[in-house]
Amino acid sequence: MNEDKLLKQMVKRDPVRGAAATRRQVLQGIGAGALALGAGGALAGRARAADELTMLTWDGYVDPRVLDGFTDQYDTGIKYELHTSDPDSVNKLRAGETAIWDIINLNNPWAREMMWPEGLIVELDRARFEPYFEAMLPMFHPPYKWAMSLDNEHLLGVCQRVDTFDFVVNTDVISAEMAKDEGWDLFNNPDMAGRYGILAYDNWNIMHICMAAGLHPFKMKSDDEVATFEEAARRLINGAKMVSDDFVAVNLAVINDEIDMYFGGGTYSISAARLDGLTNLYHVVPRSGPADGKGGINWIELSSVVNNPDLHPKAFDWMEYILQPDTSYAVATAGGFLLPVGQMSQPELLAKFTAEELDSFQWDEFDYRISHSVEYDVVPDYNRLYDIYTAARREKS
Amino acid sequence: MVDAAPILRMVSLTKQFGRLVAVNDVTLDIQEGEFFTIVGPSGSGKTTLLRMLGGLEKPTAGDIYLRDERVNQVPANRRPTCMVFQSLALFNHKTVGQNIEFSLKMRGESRRARRERGLSLMNVVQLPEDYYDKSVTKCSGGERQRVALARALASDPDILFFDEPLSAIDYRLRKLLEVELKDLHRTTGKTFVYITHSLEEAMVMSDRIGIMQEGRLIQIGSPNEIYLRPRNKFVSEFMGEVNTLAVQAGADGGIDCPAFERRFTSPARPDGFANGYLVIRPESMRFLNDPSEAENHIEGSLFNEYALGSRVQYHVSAGGSMFVVEKLREQAYRGSLNDDVLIGWDAKDSVLVTD
Amino acid sequence: MVDRAEAPAPLIRQPGIGALLLSWLRSPGVLNATPVLIFFLIGFVGPLVIVLAFSFTPERTFDLGAGFTTENYEHIFTESYYISFIWSFALAGLTVLCNLMIGYPIAYGLSKLFGRWAAPVMLVLVIPLFVSENVRLFGWYLFLIKGGGILAGGLKTAFGIDTGTLLYEPGTILMGMIYVYLPFTLFPIVLGLSMVPRDQVEASRDLGASRFQIFREVELPIAMPGILIGALLTFVLAVGAISEAKLLGGQNTPVIAQDIQHEFTYAQNWPLGSAISVLAIVVTGFLVVLVMRRLDLDRLLGRR
Repeated sequence: MNEDKLLKQMVKRDPVRGAAATRRQVLQGIGAGALALGAGGALAGRARAADELTMLTWDGYVDPRVLDGFTDQYDTGIKYELHTSDPDSVNKLRAGETAIWDIINLNNPWAREMMWPEGLIVELDRARFEPYFEAMLPMFHPPYKWAMSLDNEHLLGVCQRVDTFDFVVNTDVISAEMAKDEGWDLFNNPDMAGRYGILAYDNWNIMHICMAAGLHPFKMKSDDEVATFEEAARRLINGAKMVSDDFVAVNLAVINDEIDMYFGGGTYSISAARLDGLTNLYHVVPRSGPADGKGGINWIELSSVVNNPDLHPKAFDWMEYILQPDTSYAVATAGGFLLPVGQMSQPELLAKFTAEELDSFQWDEFDYRISHSVEYDVVPDYNRLYDIYTAARREKS
Repeated sequence: MVDAAPILRMVSLTKQFGRLVAVNDVTLDIQEGEFFTIVGPSGSGKTTLLRMLGGLEKPTAGDIYLRDERVNQVPANRRPTCMVFQSLALFNHKTVGQNIEFSLKMRGESRRARRERGLSLMNVVQLPEDYYDKSVTKCSGGERQRVALARALASDPDILFFDEPLSAIDYRLRKLLEVELKDLHRTTGKTFVYITHSLEEAMVMSDRIGIMQEGRLIQIGSPNEIYLRPRNKFVSEFMGEVNTLAVQAGADGGIDCPAFERRFTSPARPDGFANGYLVIRPESMRFLNDPSEAENHIEGSLFNEYALGSRVQYHVSAGGSMFVVEKLREQAYRGSLNDDVLIGWDAKDSVLVTD
Repeated sequence: MVDRAEAPAPLIRQPGIGALLLSWLRSPGVLNATPVLIFFLIGFVGPLVIVLAFSFTPERTFDLGAGFTTENYEHIFTESYYISFIWSFALAGLTVLCNLMIGYPIAYGLSKLFGRWAAPVMLVLVIPLFVSENVRLFGWYLFLIKGGGILAGGLKTAFGIDTGTLLYEPGTILMGMIYVYLPFTLFPIVLGLSMVPRDQVEASRDLGASRFQIFREVELPIAMPGILIGALLTFVLAVGAISEAKLLGGQNTPVIAQDIQHEFTYAQNWPLGSAISVLAIVVTGFLVVLVMRRLDLDRLLGRR
């Protein structure tokens, strides 16, 4: 039965993160919170381990193959902490933890718009790293916007995992083509109320609700537009049959006909299940939408070197190490998440993937998805929208 | 009294727990208004017998009749009987008054009627009125006895059962309560069925006594009958200190005592008596100046003497065993320890028993 | 009686409070308890004090020195956070009620009827506790889910009955909570019922009490400390429950713990999260004190 596969998937996930935990969730947050409480916020007092490379990261770089490979090649151990969310980790650096961390891996807007201007990260040697960008997929050719400072002078990091994150449908019930045509209006259709779920990654949900409300998520909103957002948020949240921050629970609801689709969703949430044969779970990027005509959102992870006064001597070596084909493959398949990486333009790397693995993250449609998406950015009036969103969640009826 | 139909009748009553036969084929009638005591050592089955009568255990075989009605299957709460438990089983979470009135409350009597009856019962068992609202956990041992008694009387039961209620009480208070219980039996006129392991206690209070041994009722009779004519060695020894001599039936109606190589005069001999024991109560033994002063005599030496208040007890060593002689203080033996003495008795004061 | 106002002043001079405190601190009992007391202060009281302090700092700050405000508490009532309080306390109350009704007969069986079967039955009830609550709830999730679910799928295959959806309703949450917290109600009741002396039950029956009267007059009052502790334990745990609402309830029903977790993680609003925590602790603590006043712990623990 299908449940077996999803259960396996559950087991495969990092046990430290708990059965209910997902990428943007829980235990690290609580742990960090407890630590901060214990220390009264004086986190900077923590001393770094003697000669280990330290890293704040998303799950792509904590796969044993990635970590052990670096230890083998460079004779250096690695200590890492997984994020609760992008801004949370940026806040840590702001609070003085630059003395602790060597590497930080975040989604695209943070390096360029926050960390570099605030002096939290250091630049990379363009001569050393730009050749890697040239060998990547065309969208990354230098100077690549998200890897560069605002003035286009400084290289701030290297890119690897990349994809879109929008919504997921059950193709046994809703055809992929129809979903692409309908786009976000699918969730606005009163007939679909009670037939969809929400994968509760709060910051993504806010962008997706903007899209469904016909608003550009990354532009300032007028009061009228905020009212439109609120109406859409309440309607979409109330219309959801279930909400969960655990994508396994949401996927299970789809394949058991509890729901026919959910937002936010993407290859990140379904690739493992698709690899196990549940190919009726399908990530949809609309053909059109309110964001400059586009309806999809494209995220890019960027690894940067922290402005650590006592920087680990191998920090820049790490940047090169992760771009090697073997490491790239390990990152693309890390921890049971299968995701495209920018290095897949290289035949040597592409050849490492089986056909099933490529299909698990819908590789054949990758260009379509990227071309129909806007790039993930900071939501300008985030706090205001966030309060509306959480109130709607609390008052869900 | 004799003509009255028995209020409680047991016919071949038997109770087995697995392979253990706790009560074995007991047949007994108890008369209306009687104070009947069942005596036996612990493990003799007397408590099990009482629990069957009270409805707390179901008989394995045999029948129980209450006023000619078979009550084997009637549960405890539907029997017009009440039990005072060995532990008293007072409700520690309730006050004295609530304990006493429990059965009345179960019957749904009004609060006022209950209180009235409760206070009058407290008067009967001599509990001060201001104890009414006192927690039973704050009462002394004797007061708890009285509460238990009043509680059992409250429902006006036809029969009251007592499961060794005085066993855990010190001697003086026990003596006092024994008397009070007997007085209460007179004033209430109810049938009391009492069990105890102390024959002394039974003697003080009972109209009739039944002796139990290993599940069987081996002798039933008035205290006097039991005292004077125990049926076997077990009963005779159960009554307290007695002198027993192993004997055999002799040729000319006498009895032979091998230990002393002597022939004694025999009391009434049970049919077919071959060998058994000659039982002589300590107070029936006398010191003799001359063998002719009694029908039978034994030579011995005075081992020790004990003052028992109004009486004096002597241990006389003779023929390798110890004999007990009891005299009233004013008839005390005047002599010193290790004197050679002569003790003797008459045949009418002795009893022949078998095993 | 002597009028108190006219009572003469005590002739012996009372030692000052400072001297009393000092002699108390020097007593061997206090000295011996010091390591535990310090551990208790750091490990238990400390974090609570910090949470309390945070609940009075301005919104979305991470610094205890950021100022003092009560607006976090106002927000709980003005911005619909109270909804989760209502749900959590209602669900917890219902859980306690249902578990008492389910738990009492089982506890009665365990302590009075099952005899040598009590141990195996107890084992069956305890073994699930060795499995993580999340995994057990996920089992229920798989059991109840539509389509391929064990119950719905089984009924559909075997009888062609379509159960529709059984998940994502408050009732499902309640079922999950009853299931998870039953042992916490049950075992204290077993303890309570085992304190009911057999002879008192027999005595009450002998005194004419019916089965129900024995229950009401004897068993219930004597077992009450155990029942209260079971109810209390269940209630306190259930008020803090989160997994049931998340997994079985599809987050359609907000609960306090969910709100707190959300504020501390996604929302990055520690002051509000702290305020919700403090309010939950205060309300629950109030109920606990109310019940504990009726309890005699010494008796329950067999010290009397």
